[in-house]
Amino acid sequence: MLDVFIFATLNGLVTGLLLFMLASGLTLIFSMMGVLNFAHASFYMLGAYFAYSVSLYFGYWTGLIFAPIIVGVLGALVERYGLRRVHQHGHVAELVFTFGLAFLIEEAVQFFWGADTKNYQSPDLLDFPLFTLFGQEFPAYRGFMIGISISIFIGLYYVLTKSRIGIIIQAALTHPHTVSNLGHNVPLIFMCVFGVGSALAGVAGVIAGPVLTTFPGMAVVLGSIVFVIVVIGGLGSLAGAFIASILIGLLQSYAIASDVGMPDLLNLLGLEFDRNHPLTDLWTLTLPQIAPILPFLLLVLVLIFRPTGLMGKREQ
Amino acid sequence: MAILKKSAVWIGYLAALLALPQFFDSVLAVSIFNQMAIAIVFGLSYNMLLGQGGMLSFGHAVYFGLGGFLAVHALLMIEVETVYFSIIWIPLVGGFIGLLAALFIGTFSTHKAGTVFAMISLGIGELLAASSLIFVSFFGGEAGVSGDRTFGPPFFGIEWFQNLEIYYLAVAWVFIATVFMYLFTQTPAGKMANAVRDNPERAEFIGYSARKVRYITFCAAGLFAGVAGGLFALNYEFITEENLNAATSGRVLLSAYIGGLGYFIGPIVGAVILTLMNSLLSNYSDLWMLYLGIMFLLTVMFLPRGFAGFIMMHQLAWVRGKIKSLLVPYLLTGIPSLLFLISVVGLIELSHTDEAELYYFGLSFNSTAAMDFILIAIVALGSLLSIRRSLPQLRAAWEAANEIPESVDEESTS
Amino acid sequence: MTVLSLNDVTKNFGETEIIRGVSLAIEKGEKHAIIGPNGAGKSTLFHLISGLYNVTSGSIRFKDQEIQNKQPYEINRLGVARSFQVTNIFARMNVFENVRCALLWSSGYKYSFWHLLGRQKELNEKTMHVLEQIGLQKKALFPAGELAYAHQRALELGIAIASGAEIIMLDEPVAGMSHSEAEGAVELIRRITEGKTLIMVEHDMNIVFDVADKISVLVYGKVIASDRPENIRANAQVQESYLGEVVTSA
Repeated sequence: MLDVFIFATLNGLVTGLLLFMLASGLTLIFSMMGVLNFAHASFYMLGAYFAYSVSLYFGYWTGLIFAPIIVGVLGALVERYGLRRVHQHGHVAELVFTFGLAFLIEEAVQFFWGADTKNYQSPDLLDFPLFTLFGQEFPAYRGFMIGISISIFIGLYYVLTKSRIGIIIQAALTHPHTVSNLGHNVPLIFMCVFGVGSALAGVAGVIAGPVLTTFPGMAVVLGSIVFVIVVIGGLGSLAGAFIASILIGLLQSYAIASDVGMPDLLNLLGLEFDRNHPLTDLWTLTLPQIAPILPFLLLVLVLIFRPTGLMGKREQ
Repeated sequence: MAILKKSAVWIGYLAALLALPQFFDSVLAVSIFNQMAIAIVFGLSYNMLLGQGGMLSFGHAVYFGLGGFLAVHALLMIEVETVYFSIIWIPLVGGFIGLLAALFIGTFSTHKAGTVFAMISLGIGELLAASSLIFVSFFGGEAGVSGDRTFGPPFFGIEWFQNLEIYYLAVAWVFIATVFMYLFTQTPAGKMANAVRDNPERAEFIGYSARKVRYITFCAAGLFAGVAGGLFALNYEFITEENLNAATSGRVLLSAYIGGLGYFIGPIVGAVILTLMNSLLSNYSDLWMLYLGIMFLLTVMFLPRGFAGFIMMHQLAWVRGKIKSLLVPYLLTGIPSLLFLISVVGLIELSHTDEAELYYFGLSFNSTAAMDFILIAIVALGSLLSIRRSLPQLRAAWEAANEIPESVDEESTS
Repeated sequence: MTVLSLNDVTKNFGETEIIRGVSLAIEKGEKHAIIGPNGAGKSTLFHLISGLYNVTSGSIRFKDQEIQNKQPYEINRLGVARSFQVTNIFARMNVFENVRCALLWSSGYKYSFWHLLGRQKELNEKTMHVLEQIGLQKKALFPAGELAYAHQRALELGIAIASGAEIIMLDEPVAGMSHSEAEGAVELIRRITEGKTLIMVEHDMNIVFDVADKISVLVYGKVIASDRPENIRANAQVQESYLGEVVTSA
């Protein structure tokens, strides 16, 4: 029991931190520009694919460095030549633009890399168990994922709180209009934030690709969950996004690892049920089964009962 | 006079729908027309939401799908004679379910428009799509559920064995749905939906609760999405999880946007374009989704009001009789643009093909020869240069045709 | 008869007190102007009365009803209409439809989806009448968002007065207009608010003294004087805190 719990927690943390790496970029972009970037997870996917291609020739570690840079540049270009143009037509148009972009990137990935799953592997260097607990091994690569995520957050935290540009971005989080009035080159900052946010998503893709498999649907799988996190956390709140990421990571991990369901509940209550009942699906439901819908359930509940999200302050 | 003109448009619309199979009567054509009919109703209902009411939904397929599932279940019930009615009413079953779902979901999702609404619609869409794979007895899992439309009492001797019969039934429903959706735009609730879209704050200061206005539009959109779902069930006699998931929701957004949001005929145009692309282009190229994506992005960037909006842009020039002055500049830019498009697509296809030889516009190209790539690239480059040269002329002609002298600006209409 | 009264109304935004205990009584048929320096809380006061903001404490009465906790649309339905300082129209609809929408509720259509507006002769005539009043009948089919600024301001007024509300609140109706445009607008305001109660925020003192028969001076969230125009002009405190500078510069 304890071993299941510990491993579920560790795996939940890995997922949660990974989700936060995406959610943080999305939150930064949203706070600055008021755009929920639908294509954010697509940049994550591009990160994985670029890293895969680079790793074929130069190995994993080169990919880890260059793939995020390529993705970041791509993101900046998208902002400069796409989003900025659409901006004049309002937020709905921007959201629709990023939606179309996500659609296009998925098609483009299939065009360049094909529709099949890529054999993108974690580096041999990390191919050993980090530790063994109750006879179960915890792969070093997952430990590496946790390490990378946390060090990026520390770096991000420092940039945001200590550097000049970080202070401007911080100001833009709370007072977006004032910042532009102060004469900062806001378009340039936007472009950079968009680029950096995309690069962060790229990093997430590079390190997640070998674990979560690299295939054209990987953006869709994660994309909507990241959206959920950003909304649950409260649009524009980094702290909220962090809490929501970890929460959802753990929630899903526990649900999958757990072995309970409606039959257990009914047993506990001493109730019998009929196998041929029309609602049999409901009576045989188990927690691992509903793990994939938990984030969306949480989203709908949060939006109904606390429309601003967990940590959100700003009314739309 | 105005009434005559208006009813002429409607009669023309009905006549066009009815006449289509007279010109194209192959099995393929009829199946395309059926798809088109479904897409028109679904697209119009989406436009109610986004174009008319300003609610961007990423989960409109929920109402389409639920309507469709219940419609298939209704077909199954007719088959075992739990209920017994002619299948011509099936779209109403779908519509009813779509309305019920919207009545419930709308209570909490229409609180705000904008991003919050978009996110709730996305969440609910994902929630339902995921649940549909869990509740297998109702949704049938990956395989979906299927029924048979040929049971039930025949309708004037028609037993619905053929798709063509279903097409005429669909036309009836498409026409009814279109009329009602149009009439809705002319009612107080419909006009206030526009007002709330434009400015929810001000709407509250003229006596209307923005939320309630949105709720009404939302429910109406749910109803007609359900009707479309019912038509789908009748046409295909099966429905799967795919019909209520995000991909279907995304496609209707694409089609409505490309057609032109905010114009009543926009989604009809979009539905026609997308269905044709889907069924014709996909025969020629497995990259058609890529082209669709590119086309969509270009539309969002350069034609924010879609194809219908592009046509409507010419209204002023038309009214002033200056449309002719645009013809030559349009041709001068249009022809090289077309050439550019063709050559770029050619390059993409040539680099993608697995065959050594590619037939394209009646010419044969060798996908292994660098020379062929260079040749097409030269054409592309040449046409691009030509566009760059002719574009300023087009712009000047456009400005000349649309210049508004101060004194006569009231002749323009919205 | 007092139609609108504010009793010790306060409004805080977080720690900041914007309105610090305002009491006002507005009589039926009065033309009441609220003046004061920038940031005094004039617009906030408008937002409180019209229901956009909730009060922090105190009460607002319209006739015999407390309205401080009501939604904007409820207050509007009671007969309080307002315009906005920043033009706030339905930009993608045409001028005619802008005004017609403003008439819908008071004409009893509610949320109807069974009336066809094209057939509502009386409503459409009323709409044209309002358009004539604000001088926009020739622009009826013009998209509101593409109107010239002065015309947009006229439309802004038209939307506010269309429903025939008893109290009309105008937030800086002539802001940003040229001198001649402003003169026309004042004429318009005078004409369309005849027999009605008018509450107006305005910076142009000539217009205020021209139109108002009672003036309240709001300074830092408090009413420091509320009196007839001639008394306000003579009031030393008002002179000192606000009027002096503006009147001489205007």
